[in-house]
Amino acid sequence: MISNALSLMILIPLLGAIVSFFAGTRAKFVALIASLAPLVLSLQMYMEFDKSSTMMQFVESYDWVPSIGVKYTLGVDGIGFPLVLLSTIVSVLVIIYSWGETKKPNQYFALLLLNEVGVLGVFTALDFFLFYIFWEIVLIPMFFLIGSWGGPRKDYAAIKFFIYTHVASLVMLLAIFALYFTYQLPDGSRTFDMLTLLKATQNPEIFPPALLNIIFAGLLLGFLVKMPAFPFHTWLPDAHVEAPTAGSVVLAALLLKMGGYGLFRIIVPMLDYVDKAFITIIAVIAVLSIVYGAFLALAQKDIKKLVAYSSVSHMGFVTLGAVALVPLSIQGAMFQQFSHGIITCVLFMSAGTIQHVVGTRIIADLGGLADRMPKFAVIMMAGFMASLGLPGMSGFVAEFMTLTGAYATLPTYVMIVVFLSIVITAGYHLWAIQKAMFGPILRKYMDVHDPHAYELFSMSMIILLTLLFGLQPGLMTDIMGTAANQLLQPVLTLSEMGVI
Amino acid sequence: MDFYHYAPLWGEALLTALAVLILLLGAMTKNGGKLPGYLSLVGLVAALGLVSSNLMISRPATLFFFDTISVDALSQFFKAVFLIVSLLVVIASLSRYTGKGADEYFALLLLATVGMMIVSSSIDLVTLFVGFELASLSTYAMAAFDKSKKNLEAAMKYFIYGSVSSAFMLFGFSLLYGMTGSTKLADVAAIALADFGPATLVALLFVIAGFAFKMALVPFHMWAPDTYEGSPALVSALLAAGSKKMGFAAAFRVLLIAMVAMRMEWYLAFAILAAVTMTLGNLAACWQDNVRRILAYSSIAQAGYIAIAFVVVGAAYGDAPVNVLNLGMFPADQLGIAGALLLILGHALMKTGAFIGSAQVASLVSKSDAEDPDDISNYAGLGRRAPVTAFCMLVFMFALAGIPPTAGYIGKFVLFSSAIYSGLVWLAVLAILNSALSLVYYLRIISYMYLKEPAGPKIAESKGYMAALVLTMLAVFYIGVFPDQFINWALQAATVLLPQ
Repeated sequence: MISNALSLMILIPLLGAIVSFFAGTRAKFVALIASLAPLVLSLQMYMEFDKSSTMMQFVESYDWVPSIGVKYTLGVDGIGFPLVLLSTIVSVLVIIYSWGETKKPNQYFALLLLNEVGVLGVFTALDFFLFYIFWEIVLIPMFFLIGSWGGPRKDYAAIKFFIYTHVASLVMLLAIFALYFTYQLPDGSRTFDMLTLLKATQNPEIFPPALLNIIFAGLLLGFLVKMPAFPFHTWLPDAHVEAPTAGSVVLAALLLKMGGYGLFRIIVPMLDYVDKAFITIIAVIAVLSIVYGAFLALAQKDIKKLVAYSSVSHMGFVTLGAVALVPLSIQGAMFQQFSHGIITCVLFMSAGTIQHVVGTRIIADLGGLADRMPKFAVIMMAGFMASLGLPGMSGFVAEFMTLTGAYATLPTYVMIVVFLSIVITAGYHLWAIQKAMFGPILRKYMDVHDPHAYELFSMSMIILLTLLFGLQPGLMTDIMGTAANQLLQPVLTLSEMGVI
Repeated sequence: MDFYHYAPLWGEALLTALAVLILLLGAMTKNGGKLPGYLSLVGLVAALGLVSSNLMISRPATLFFFDTISVDALSQFFKAVFLIVSLLVVIASLSRYTGKGADEYFALLLLATVGMMIVSSSIDLVTLFVGFELASLSTYAMAAFDKSKKNLEAAMKYFIYGSVSSAFMLFGFSLLYGMTGSTKLADVAAIALADFGPATLVALLFVIAGFAFKMALVPFHMWAPDTYEGSPALVSALLAAGSKKMGFAAAFRVLLIAMVAMRMEWYLAFAILAAVTMTLGNLAACWQDNVRRILAYSSIAQAGYIAIAFVVVGAAYGDAPVNVLNLGMFPADQLGIAGALLLILGHALMKTGAFIGSAQVASLVSKSDAEDPDDISNYAGLGRRAPVTAFCMLVFMFALAGIPPTAGYIGKFVLFSSAIYSGLVWLAVLAILNSALSLVYYLRIISYMYLKEPAGPKIAESKGYMAALVLTMLAVFYIGVFPDQFINWALQAATVLLPQ
């Protein structure tokens, strides 16, 4: 394996973004190459990844700002690596899906690549300073994707998205300051090292519970807004509805996962050391997100908005699994992150394709499209089935594992509520696809036809992945299982692992 | 006389000589063409070289002219900031101010720079005042330089407010002299400490009021928006980035020494001043339609952030210091001053850049449009009309809002974290919320530049402006990505003000 693979993986799309900005109409080729390279790298890393190891792997560490104790540290373990893989896969597919983009294509593809840089950085950074920088960088390309290529209310949606999530990040930053200034290394210096600080939070002598509770609440808010969890989900529908298809895909498949990642990486190790009420609060938020998200989706007229609210509901499973604090549920929640990441791509791509082929996304105005768009109908149907949790596809495995694990710790009546919401989930998926795609074709849609091959290709690749991970979940869950077990143990720092 | 003894002051001497030379040249030749501009450019580069050759002076400071001028790490820091600002303004002015009158413009600019440099080195009240007036008188004339009606109004306002503030300051100085019998800062502080009465308080209040005018702290800020809007845009850059920072240089010298010496519980007063300044500045900026007024109010808000340093120092030396978290590598006050210095450096760059950008836009659209050339509607679609200017402005806007990885982020990061460090959590929270509030108007400018349809055809960007903009933009990024040396430099400069 080439050394510094993770840095390379972040650097290539960054350079690609700069090159494609100046590449004019050839930007899409640059973007494809610049996103394929990280994909190849991450597949190579997957081959070499030690699935049974709880260590950080592919670690790189250099001094960056020694005067305040900042290091450039990258590394992945079972929490981060599946998301790295997800990011590289989704980035390639989204670029292929957008092959026909004609409005300012150079900027468009540069922004998609910049997005990849940000999310890869978030999933690999092991230094809070670096983590925060990547966390914020992600906002900028998404702001422009929504604002430049978005729908009628794009300005409002873009600014709301930026400010809403930025405020949450700033609260998180304050919590990071508090972590930084409370813990001192044995030699008197300070550090932003994530694992070192997390380990320190597990020592009540360094972080008295009263202080830790405040820090914890700050960090939690930052992640829950990003997820987004009820009641902080209100930025999401606006952003999704106005964003262009690729923007929605990246937003739902990758940006939301940053919140989930933070939950596993930072929140779960602290959970045992903060007030127990937090567990109840987070569990309530998770259940409300699942149920309320499902009901909101049921009430939508716009198919894209329906998909957006289904994200809120599905991400609720991630929160629920994380807070149930048993290895199986955590493993399931991690798998739900990965699984939702790929499935949601098909859903948003379907919504986007319907929009540009038919010209509307209002479910009531659609009907019988399967007659004219047979290939598309098959893929969209498969995507919706995956999303509602059809056995044999990855969504089922993830939710099954999460709920089975959570059953052990959460009260039964909570589980009954969650199970009921699965019926709602099936309901809105089936209703939407039945109304939009099946039944007699409407006269005005007689001359619509299947979308471009590149759109069908991206979507069918994802369906294949969904099936692959549905039938062989072990490919991913083995990695996650090791990490989930490790999460319930005390945190080890990088030097204790012996990797630096 | 030992010529080499004065080596640390060659920079000031060079610029003074050059200013006189340029004036003589202007008197002797009818039309100097671009000569004055290029002469100033060379002179400023040489002066910057001289200053940076002894950038990191450790204590003890070198004293000159009967201990009235001190060359130390702090003075060198401010001198470097002033020289960089003047240099950028000169680069942008090269093509704007040529031929008749150019000699006066550049001579005044050089003299203003010398004045600011003297202020940053002064440890004596009289020298301080002389430097202050040299810089002020030069900039009064510059503010009216284009002789338009708006210029004259702006200059008049600036002149009247400035004179009143100078009078306040001088009155305060004379009271201090009358009470202590000395004009040396150290003596004044020591004697006033021994015999602190109501008269000392009155004197200090006068001095604070005088400085606060220059720093544009609320409630002494009224002149700033009108002057920044009405003056020639490049002069506004010098005023906001240079002359305003001179106020901080003076305030740091005088007030911090006084606060440290008198151990007064002043931090609450300054905390309120800082909080009100940043909040009012940001709120007022949200309602403006004129870009230069937005920048003016944002610069008032930034002054509020910088004033946090006074609070941090006051809190560390007050009668009842607030509960500082367990002390670590730097004392909080050192970190606070360093953060303020970093923000001053960053803000000087960002504001110069932003005003030069607005000058570029104004000069390009005013040919075709007689209406307000700085109106935000002129920025519509700037991303396509003037791509380089727009991109640089974009970077400055994000940097001013404190988005990483830029100079603005590093400054705010260090400064706000020092507030957390000294236990002033409420102030840090308020500052961070303000930072998010400021996004409202920065994003508004960005969305005009990139998300709106162009207001006219593509325009040819002037080379001088572009060079200045790109240089500034690179510097803003450089400080953000490699902050270590700058943090060390600022920390060292901060030690000058603190007792051993």
